[in-house]
Amino acid sequence: MELEKFMYDNKITRNFAVATVVWGVVGLLMGLIVALQIFIPAMNFNLEFTTFGRTRPLHTNAAIFAFVGNAIFTAVYYSMQRLLKTRMFSDLLGKIHFWGWQLIIVAAAVTLLAGYTSGKEYAELEWPIDLAITVVWVIFGINMFGTLLIRRTSHIYVAIWFYIATWVTVAVLHIVNSIEIPYSLLKSYPVYAGVQDALVQWWYGHNAVAFFLTTPFLGLMYYFVPKAANRPIYSYKLSIVHFWSLIFIYIWAGPHHLLYTSLPNWLQALGTTFSIMLIAPSWGGMINGLLTLRGAWDKVRRDPILKMFVVGLTAYGMSTFEGPMLSLKTVNAISHYTDWTIGHVHIGALGWNGLMTFGMLYWLIPRLYNTKLWSTKLANAHFWLATLAIIFYAVPLYIGGITQALMWKQFTPDGFLLYPNFLETVTQLIPMYAIRAFGGSLYVTGMLLAVVNIVKTAQAGTFLKEEAAEAPALKTQEMPKQDNESWHGFLERKPIRFLIFATIAILIGGLFEIVPTYLVKSNVPTISSVKPYTPLELQGRDIYIKEGCYNCHSQMIRPFRSEVERYGEYSKAGEFVYDHPFQFGSKRTGPDLAREGVKTGKIYKPNAWHYNHFIDPQKMNEASIMPPYPWLAEKDIDLSSTPAKIRVMKKLGVPYPDNYEHQANDDLKAQAEEIAQNLREAGIETESTKEIIALIAYIQRLGTDITTPETSNE
Amino acid sequence: MTQDKKQQEYDDLTKIKYIGGHDYDGIRELDNRLPPWLKYLFYVTIVFAVSYLMLVFVFEDDSVIQEKEYQNEMAALHQAEEQEAEAAPVEVKERTQEEILAAGKVTFGKICSVCHGKFGEGLVGPNMTDEYWIHGGSFEDMKTVVLNGVIEKGMISYKNQLSNTQIDDVLTYIHSLQGTNPPNQKEPQGEKYVPEANAE
Repeated sequence: MELEKFMYDNKITRNFAVATVVWGVVGLLMGLIVALQIFIPAMNFNLEFTTFGRTRPLHTNAAIFAFVGNAIFTAVYYSMQRLLKTRMFSDLLGKIHFWGWQLIIVAAAVTLLAGYTSGKEYAELEWPIDLAITVVWVIFGINMFGTLLIRRTSHIYVAIWFYIATWVTVAVLHIVNSIEIPYSLLKSYPVYAGVQDALVQWWYGHNAVAFFLTTPFLGLMYYFVPKAANRPIYSYKLSIVHFWSLIFIYIWAGPHHLLYTSLPNWLQALGTTFSIMLIAPSWGGMINGLLTLRGAWDKVRRDPILKMFVVGLTAYGMSTFEGPMLSLKTVNAISHYTDWTIGHVHIGALGWNGLMTFGMLYWLIPRLYNTKLWSTKLANAHFWLATLAIIFYAVPLYIGGITQALMWKQFTPDGFLLYPNFLETVTQLIPMYAIRAFGGSLYVTGMLLAVVNIVKTAQAGTFLKEEAAEAPALKTQEMPKQDNESWHGFLERKPIRFLIFATIAILIGGLFEIVPTYLVKSNVPTISSVKPYTPLELQGRDIYIKEGCYNCHSQMIRPFRSEVERYGEYSKAGEFVYDHPFQFGSKRTGPDLAREGVKTGKIYKPNAWHYNHFIDPQKMNEASIMPPYPWLAEKDIDLSSTPAKIRVMKKLGVPYPDNYEHQANDDLKAQAEEIAQNLREAGIETESTKEIIALIAYIQRLGTDITTPETSNE
Repeated sequence: MTQDKKQQEYDDLTKIKYIGGHDYDGIRELDNRLPPWLKYLFYVTIVFAVSYLMLVFVFEDDSVIQEKEYQNEMAALHQAEEQEAEAAPVEVKERTQEEILAAGKVTFGKICSVCHGKFGEGLVGPNMTDEYWIHGGSFEDMKTVVLNGVIEKGMISYKNQLSNTQIDDVLTYIHSLQGTNPPNQKEPQGEKYVPEANAE
């Protein structure tokens, strides 16, 4: 057989690896900052740009799309070349992919801090960036499938199956969830509203976990674990079974983020059941990884890289067991809206994504620089710091989450809430938040050790920009299925067919869940008293979104006695039909606001209270951990945007009268003057043009469309 | 090195057969079957899922329909309350004035202080330590305000949030604040109230 000589491109891998490290530091430091902000309001620095509602999305986006994203591309660009015995399809596309992605991250950081957000978790980036992501993702896809088509191996390895599924699913999720109509250069409204928006968003959000944090990392694992351990993969059959079951089942599980909300029962049931069925397919990956180390356990004891892989895989196994448990409604009734969820995701993020990434980097960097790791001892120290960090991070949040949930639900023998003041349940958590921040700082310290180790390693070696390799050319792939060939073996020779099958597998669940919520009307029963927001309320709502209030406040009262007692009548699907985007929230660091404006309600506060509270929450409540928003009383409402907003809302089906966009600002001013007058009566001198007036108008509107419980005879 | 491995049919350490022809950048795969326990775990979860979906889609069982769950929770509560009402009334324990004031102070700190200040000095809501009252300073007038609220001013009704005893306790506590003269007092609002000489 004639051997062809060619070069592996290490430069693209090295660039992505450097980006991984740089954004890793940024993402983790942002995490530490938000962990401190949550219990020390002064850490918000009294600046709109550095306040929790904006820094927290920056942390999550940096950790997921910058740190983990670049780690994925590092793994893909290194392993694909070697698994397919070819250089990547195009150096140029690789470069565009690299620089495009980094630019997107920078644009994301700037716009998020400036307050441009779509208000949908993990999909906060606005429409121009959404478009850029789509373009870069397609370029990545072309480069990836181009490489598959010029490969020199007949079959494609399991790692690449996962890369293929990742690519197609992320593309579908991102595009469908980001369909939005712009009303300005940097802002848009999503086409979906209320419950439907929530369903699409969590179909996206959950599967971002599945296909951005999980499947590409399984691909990474399938390459780097056997490489580092120098052992064969435990079971090829298990690879096949867990790959297909995982990608098929995962896509259905999104509704488990909306249990006990006003999402229809049948969808919630699918969320629960498919989550439970995910346990075995998820564990298949963990088992195939851990058992690959069979025969290499003595090496694991000495090698920090393998140690990181073992803890990473174990963390994966733990969080993929915990996730399905949290999807059981009885457990979710306790865990939802609390810090338990935050603890849960960080087992995955710090354990699985973090340690797998660091293990990969410690293995990869010496090879790229043709030298040995600068200090194994330092890597070992990193391993122990990170492992301790995970414990110090997660345990207090579990304790805090459960404690708070139980306090929310506790009644006195007389039938009143034992803790009617929400704040009491928050002050309980402060020590837990402090310990969590300590855990986080351990993890950051470990990351800094990695930076030193990686830089020193690179300095000690010489960068192997091009790596020579040779392999025989691939004989024509037109060969039909052989008699002795399994169907899957045949599929492994046909990457495009593989892509099509994977696409079908991931489309079924989404179609089954999303389409009926549009076609079957009973899923969102209409409530005739629900009316569109007034222009002032709409402006206020956009301020609510801009300041990221949804990061700490939910707007979804669950049908429990304890919640109805605390907040008022539980939320109905029909109440949210004009909410582009929905603002259910997923965490109650502060109380639920779904009925905040109901005057006969339990949590009603006068306009003056809201005014003072926005400017200085600690004045109203010494122990409050809400940051102050004084700029709301200084900045003017952007009246020039009102007509465009109304126009887009009308396009989305919100029934404003004809030509209302021309009249909207007059109505806005009149309503604002009324509120300002009311504030003046309470002794607060303010102009009616300020943003705070719009936000108060929105807050006082919340939950007021239905004042009496519906008579349910649908 | 890769060449050598290719010739091998079995893994040296585990004596398990390799998948023939599979060698990806030196990575080989073993011909192990799925761990049986994992397979059975998968089957069990599928059985669970199918049964659960039957409950929802076929039997429409109350336990998986949240509106019904809520109705049942509330019905059980009302039943318990009725039974309690039928049972002999519990003897009310005599409490000292100190105990009443302490209980009132707790409620005040949890609820009232948000608007009326930590020491009753007044914030958004009026001062509770001076002699001036907007809606009357007698015990009965104040109780009316707490029970029904003054919604146009932002004072909500606490009828459903505080028990009768809790309301009485907190009012006793508020009366004890008269003349405490805390810092940062809000200016007096309403009419001056002078308790009648023979009032309690």
